[in-house]
Amino acid sequence: MPKKEQFARIWLVTLVVSYSAYFWFASNANRDSLWDQLLIFAATTIAQIIVIGIGSAVIALKKSQGPSVDERDRAIDNKATRVAYNVLIVGVIMSGCILPFSHSGWVLFQAAVAAIAVSEVVRYSIIVGLYRRGGYD
Amino acid sequence: MTKRRLSNRIRLERFLAKEMTQAELGQHVGVTRQTIAAIESGRYAPSLETAFVIAEVFGKPLEEIFHWEVVDR
Repeated sequence: MPKKEQFARIWLVTLVVSYSAYFWFASNANRDSLWDQLLIFAATTIAQIIVIGIGSAVIALKKSQGPSVDERDRAIDNKATRVAYNVLIVGVIMSGCILPFSHSGWVLFQAAVAAIAVSEVVRYSIIVGLYRRGGYD
Repeated sequence: MTKRRLSNRIRLERFLAKEMTQAELGQHVGVTRQTIAAIESGRYAPSLETAFVIAEVFGKPLEEIFHWEVVDR
């Protein structure tokens, strides 16, 4: 399995698990407390950094022949990023242009986080999928 | 419209080149073994540069290694 695919799998699992936990805790915490919400966000981010850092280090230490990244990796990454960008734009329009007319603070913040989370999950899902079945050129 | 896909005879050429492995070919070309496997199986169409280098490794012109294959009408 290419290193980039291994990285993508680690990212995908970490993002799904951590953001699922994040949204569960954030919706059950005090919504009016900025510090409570920031604490949950910070804890999620730190957990992601630790898990992905350890996973990346383990993958990087494995020996492999040839270059670690080649044109196929870049083609896959480009396509996944292109799709995820569109998802992010939709999320930004929702959280920044539409929701402010009907919702306030907490919902807007969580919508923005959700837009980032969903676009990242989409990106890594596409990367993993394209490595398996092709169709990226 | 006729549907076509890029086909190749890399597997055969590797066999003829003293059973060169995908990893060895990848090292010559500068791509990973997985990319060679993807090219061979038709899951990835390489860049023109990579296609030329692959043909050069086998000492054949490009059109002898890669060709169009009609898959649907």
